[in-house]
Amino acid sequence: MLHHWSRRLFLAMSLAAMITPFVTKAETPVTVFAAASLKSALDELAATYADPVHISYGGSSTLARQIQHGAPADLFISANAAWMDVLEQDGLIVAASRRTLLTNRLVLIAGPDVDPDLTIEPGFDLAAALGQDHLAMALIDAVPAGIYGAAALRSLGVWEQVAHRVAQTDNVRAALMLVVLGEAPYGVVYATDAEASPDVRVVGMFPEGSHPPIRYPAAPITGANPAPAQAFLDFLLTPEAGEVFQKHGFGLPGDGA
Amino acid sequence: MSLLVDIRHRLGALDLEISFRAPGGVTALFGRSGTGKTTVINAVAGLLTPESGRIELDGEPVFDTRSDLSVPTHKRRVGYVFQDGRLFPHLSVRQNLTYGERFARAKPRASLAEVSELLGISDLLERRPGGLSGGEKQRVAIGRALLSRPRILLMDEPLAALDSARKAEILPFLERLRDHTDIPILYVSHSVAEIARLATTVVVLEGGSVARSGPAEHVLSDPGMVRQIGVRDAGAVLPATITRHHNDGLTELSVSGGRLFLPEMDTAPGTATRVRILAHDVILSRALPQGLSALNILSATILALRDGDGPGVIVQMQCGEDRLLARITRRSADVMALQPGDHIHAVIKSVSIARTDVGAG
Amino acid sequence: MSDWLGPAEWQALALSLWVSFFATLLSLPFGVFIAYALARWQFRGKHILNVLVHLPLILPPVVTGYLLLLTFGRQGAIGSWLYDNFGVILAFRWTGAVLAAAIMAFPLMVRSLRLAIEAVDPKLEQAAATLGAPRLWVFVTVTLPLILPGLIAGSVLAFAKAMGEFGATITFVSNIPGQTQTLPSAIYAFLQVPGGEGSALRLVVVSVVVAMGALLASEWLARRAVQRIAGS
Repeated sequence: MLHHWSRRLFLAMSLAAMITPFVTKAETPVTVFAAASLKSALDELAATYADPVHISYGGSSTLARQIQHGAPADLFISANAAWMDVLEQDGLIVAASRRTLLTNRLVLIAGPDVDPDLTIEPGFDLAAALGQDHLAMALIDAVPAGIYGAAALRSLGVWEQVAHRVAQTDNVRAALMLVVLGEAPYGVVYATDAEASPDVRVVGMFPEGSHPPIRYPAAPITGANPAPAQAFLDFLLTPEAGEVFQKHGFGLPGDGA
Repeated sequence: MSLLVDIRHRLGALDLEISFRAPGGVTALFGRSGTGKTTVINAVAGLLTPESGRIELDGEPVFDTRSDLSVPTHKRRVGYVFQDGRLFPHLSVRQNLTYGERFARAKPRASLAEVSELLGISDLLERRPGGLSGGEKQRVAIGRALLSRPRILLMDEPLAALDSARKAEILPFLERLRDHTDIPILYVSHSVAEIARLATTVVVLEGGSVARSGPAEHVLSDPGMVRQIGVRDAGAVLPATITRHHNDGLTELSVSGGRLFLPEMDTAPGTATRVRILAHDVILSRALPQGLSALNILSATILALRDGDGPGVIVQMQCGEDRLLARITRRSADVMALQPGDHIHAVIKSVSIARTDVGAG
Repeated sequence: MSDWLGPAEWQALALSLWVSFFATLLSLPFGVFIAYALARWQFRGKHILNVLVHLPLILPPVVTGYLLLLTFGRQGAIGSWLYDNFGVILAFRWTGAVLAAAIMAFPLMVRSLRLAIEAVDPKLEQAAATLGAPRLWVFVTVTLPLILPGLIAGSVLAFAKAMGEFGATITFVSNIPGQTQTLPSAIYAFLQVPGGEGSALRLVVVSVVVAMGALLASEWLARRAVQRIAGS
């Protein structure tokens, strides 16, 4: 019981942390706008970096809009390519320095009280496993994890059976939370999210070909403070940093992702 | 029909300890502000819970600390007429009047039509309180209380907020109420004129306790009450009967000790009424005065002399079956060597018998 | 107009109106009771109750939604009791959206009602009691009619707040088209994708029109109620 509550408390606190705006001013330290799913890995890396790093985490779309409106970011790491493309078209990023920093995978997770007997394959009977319950996903039209997840389920031919049972959340961590709390027995999240929570079981990974590749592009913001931003990006691209990312469940582009 | 009050309560710096019995008719609670009048009336209504004591209505206890009894206000069946009317602004006059009807245990003694007629508000029934004058509002408030078929009517300075014209407009209705219904009325006021006109029983409060209580005629003509009542307002109330109207514009009344002449009244001969004779309007004379312009001279016997705060003396006299008060100077009393038991002539300046002080009833 | 919004957007609008209506209806009796208690009664824990009522105003909506999920979810203390005893499920249902919207709108409704109740002279209620009316009757026939303008204003405020509620709703009942996808959820979804601004803007216009319509209607109703009270 105590364990149960501390878990919930932890979730509540991390949730509160996610929504707390972390506004920074560009000085000598480098200011990074990064997708929320990168938090644990980036925090660890920033702590080992020589210069101070201020990181503002948020949804990729929110961060991109803030940058469009002149937010003082030096480096942007997005969880999807679409928003990076928008910024590139607007001439807001140093296009030549844009790199694919990381890759990620989608997994089907099951809650603590669920005994999964499922294998992810074309036409697998997810609908029967759900019964009257719900499948937790991020917004399927708006949030990258939801868009990828819907694409994966579609290509596996199970989307039609489960579409009406999908509970969509405004971010992928909230979908994870629904599964952790047992409100939804199954969920579709990133491998990195599943890695972050010991309370959920990974039923299986979605085949890489079942959805568009999940890439995290990174690029310095035009004009602001290019040198320190480039330096930090270079640091993130080192093999040492790569090991840390891998430890948190990310893939590196060189892995053939 | 009677009310018994015997309560103790702390009110700010004042320790109230009030005990009296009110028979039928109008019982006036008289006293200066801050003597606990409203506390008593609110305790009777159940709007305030005294610290200890007992209150009975018609012999039935409605509050008793010994048996831990306190009947809630809505079950006490008291009709309360507040100083500020307190009509429901969102209801019509008719709806205000009939508000308490559904809770009345028996059919009202008087119908809506009769009460409206009695109070002169028949033409206002479809109006809203917002558009009524102060006097109209107060008459509606009285009618509303009356139609809830109360065991007692409580009136807390019902005329205090009105100007003298409005007061004059309502007083006759209160007198009709007193004379044509058998509902006892507990009437809080600091106006001697109102009390002299309406009250059958007077309870004088002072410093948190009852200074004097009894029939209105006795209490008001008690020289010991002059301080509470105030020198200017001290005076006697005498029952009188209208004898006849004279051609020269005077009306003759008979009191137990003789006859009085007043400026013409529009009341029929044979009607019982009350006259109020202020103490400072009475002059005393050893001999029957001759060649004096005053018309009203009553012979009396001195009962008591009491010193006032200033140079004045209050003389109480027996006049027939009634009592009179006169306020004269100490010097005059000494010169005349007035003693209890002396026969005396009381000269009453008839012009100064104020018409508003003459009550019908 | 029917071409202007797609079927999914019409659905979101209809659901928003539906959810907000029931959220207002649900919070009204509780709001009146608590506002009355706060305005008129002296009791232990009054300040704590006041703080609790206002909590949804202060807490981030996501946290309120999360707390709702913890208590009213299928695994939550109240949620599981409701399911075991009555078969009632709130999580992921429109009923849950109603609860979330009602709780978020509750402080606004209570504030407005409390002000209205405090403006009613308790002496009028006393007068009604002396006429033999029991407490509840006094409340229904005197207090309630007199607070009607405040009640209308509070309800409309609550309705408008419910129409705009997003954070607590999506956290508690997520976003299921036709069940829990309200107008703000749809707006949020559009804002997440590049180029969705146009669609989002159309929904914003719809929201503004609905909110303004509600406010104007309440103004009119409240004025009528005031006239009724003032009479003459």
